[in-house]
Amino acid sequence: MMKSRPIAATLAFVAAAGLLLSGCSAPAGAEAGGEKKLTFMFRGGEDEKKAYEKAVEQFEKDNSVDVDIIVTTADQYATKLKAAIAGKEVPDVFYISPGDVQAYVQNGIVKDITQYVENSDTIDLDNIWEYGVDSYRYDGKRVGEGAIYALPKDVGPFSFGYNKTMLEKAGIPLPDKDKPYTFDEFVAAAKKLTADTNGDGTLDQWGTGLNVQWNLQPFVWSNGGDWLNEDRTKVTVDTPEFAESLQWFADLQNVHGVTPSVAEAQTLDTYQRWMKGEIGFFPIAPWDLSTYQKLGFDWDVIPYPAGETGKSATWTGTLGIAVAESSKFPEDAAKLVEYLTANKEAQQSLVDAGIQIPNLKDMAEAWAADTSTKPANKAEFLEIVKDYGRELPAGNTFNAEWYDELFTNIQPVLDGKQSAKDYLKEAQPRMQEFLDSANQQAGN
Amino acid sequence: MTTTMRRSRLHRKEHQAALVFVAIPVIGFLLFTLFPLIFSVYASFTNWNGISAPVFKGLDNYTKMFGDRYFLKSLWNTLYMMIGIPVGLVISLALALAMNRKMRGTTFFRTVYYLPVISSIAAVAILWQWAFNGDFGLINQGLSLIGIGGPNWLQDTATVKPALIIMAVWKGLGYSMLLYLAALQSVPRYLYEAAALDGATAWQQFRHITVPMVRPVTFFLIVTSIIGGSQIFVEINIMTPTGGPEFESATIVWYIWQKAFDNLQMGYASAMSVVLGLLVFTITFIQFRLNRRNQFSID
Repeated sequence: MMKSRPIAATLAFVAAAGLLLSGCSAPAGAEAGGEKKLTFMFRGGEDEKKAYEKAVEQFEKDNSVDVDIIVTTADQYATKLKAAIAGKEVPDVFYISPGDVQAYVQNGIVKDITQYVENSDTIDLDNIWEYGVDSYRYDGKRVGEGAIYALPKDVGPFSFGYNKTMLEKAGIPLPDKDKPYTFDEFVAAAKKLTADTNGDGTLDQWGTGLNVQWNLQPFVWSNGGDWLNEDRTKVTVDTPEFAESLQWFADLQNVHGVTPSVAEAQTLDTYQRWMKGEIGFFPIAPWDLSTYQKLGFDWDVIPYPAGETGKSATWTGTLGIAVAESSKFPEDAAKLVEYLTANKEAQQSLVDAGIQIPNLKDMAEAWAADTSTKPANKAEFLEIVKDYGRELPAGNTFNAEWYDELFTNIQPVLDGKQSAKDYLKEAQPRMQEFLDSANQQAGN
Repeated sequence: MTTTMRRSRLHRKEHQAALVFVAIPVIGFLLFTLFPLIFSVYASFTNWNGISAPVFKGLDNYTKMFGDRYFLKSLWNTLYMMIGIPVGLVISLALALAMNRKMRGTTFFRTVYYLPVISSIAAVAILWQWAFNGDFGLINQGLSLIGIGGPNWLQDTATVKPALIIMAVWKGLGYSMLLYLAALQSVPRYLYEAAALDGATAWQQFRHITVPMVRPVTFFLIVTSIIGGSQIFVEINIMTPTGGPEFESATIVWYIWQKAFDNLQMGYASAMSVVLGLLVFTITFIQFRLNRRNQFSID
């Protein structure tokens, strides 16, 4: 007996290790005892995590379902989710971006939840942003139409704003919230703001400071240009409209000098400067609102300056919540998705955290009418979602390689060393090649 | 008779126990190293997006690679950034020599230089990102004190690689220094005494005693740094999340990761990892061959 103890101990250890390993990979919901168990995987910062934990807790109470939460950081999410998929351990409920819908549906990863949604008593499709729901529809050919594969966790209208205090001090008439600036008017206002206010010989206040990757779209679109043709088969960045707007964007720095010093494409700088009150015009998105409440100056939201078309444009981001095809409890999983995206209390706690606008239309109208928090013109966000917001150019293609290519070599244009026209002419064939291969992959 | 029986039974039991112990790492290796390795070699011959079933495509991925300018560029970037390895070795040997002397505060300095090694690379990368900020970064503020207007380090094609090299050298210094220190302390004193009696200068002692005596450590550091350097990823992804201006800081592992997880090209990414694996293996093999020729020992 005594002698066999080391072996027994070892075997016990091996068995324990084995259990540990299989414990990690035990499929969700396979729990003994008949209790329903879901896993919910998402990403986000502290605010988001807290708000969702609270919402999930309430859901567990109301539905007697056990929900395991897996949170990752934003940059690890894709890796972890794909590892889970490769290991055939797809979480029951997880975040998905519109760009992934095509691939995930084709490979049977996400479930068609149209039926659940239509028969749901939590969710009223008429009261939730069409833009958000449509981003997760797919008919086997195109994203945007057909069956519902996810519901929007949020919609993120990427709006524009200004430092009211600064404009007033400079004696510039405040911009009209219903009539966008033209490109020229915007440059004129920005020039007036760019100044050395303390007289030490260096500039300490600028008109604007924009990051090309997130801010080029509004100007291209409002100038009549676009990245792709209608059926998403041809890259159209080599048009005069596109070139003109990119050139204008680069000229803000190189010709007009209304942005902080050379090569300051790093948002970090301009973001910090905006918060310090050194920048006149800057993008404002819903996820900034909680931070911007604490700014030491007055600010508001306006439509983006518009080019040739005279009509503002911008993008609306969104992230969806989907149910796994492999889920053992699809009905409960769908219920959780509905709860997180459309339950009033859950939505309220997310809106209160200052990280998103309400998903529900009636709630959003009430939120926009509330003048106790900034900005005054909250209605602009809703305007974008309802009317002029578009999806990011790579949102509906199989992957974003073609889109990223535009930005990979763009620096010389921003530095004024290459003209936008020449650069776009050069980039178009390379982008086209990537797009073709993405479309080809989507086809098989 | 009975004693031998007992002994052999004990022996057998212990032997069995040993096998179980040995089995744990072996199973771990098979499951978590060998299987993924073989699988990625298989995946490299397929068109696989990471979520569907792989489709066999023969050598497609391999032929594609050599026409892919970003693959070649990221390979070049990775090689370029290895300039930091010899630089780091020289500095850390110098530091180790300094630390090896009997003077006050060496413990303090050893700690200071070792601190970066145990710090999380993600945190360190964020710190350096701030330090390299062209506008208000610590480095440019320091440079402006002596009248130099520093570049926008991470946004400039000419400075992004040097910036990353500086950081890598800083991060690795403590580790190499510590190993050198251990090596220096095990050099027998009588060698120096004998050399001094024969009239060798300090430089000659260093050149003919210290350097050869720490050679095994140098070899070890070179091999591990090249293997580590060819897999540099985290700092690149944090400091230049888009691969840097004009792809100047994209390393091979960063590119593989981007293809695999951002662009749904797991098959192609696998092929690139296989090529990277072969390259690293070849380089290491050559190093071992060269080293064998230089080996000597003292009794």
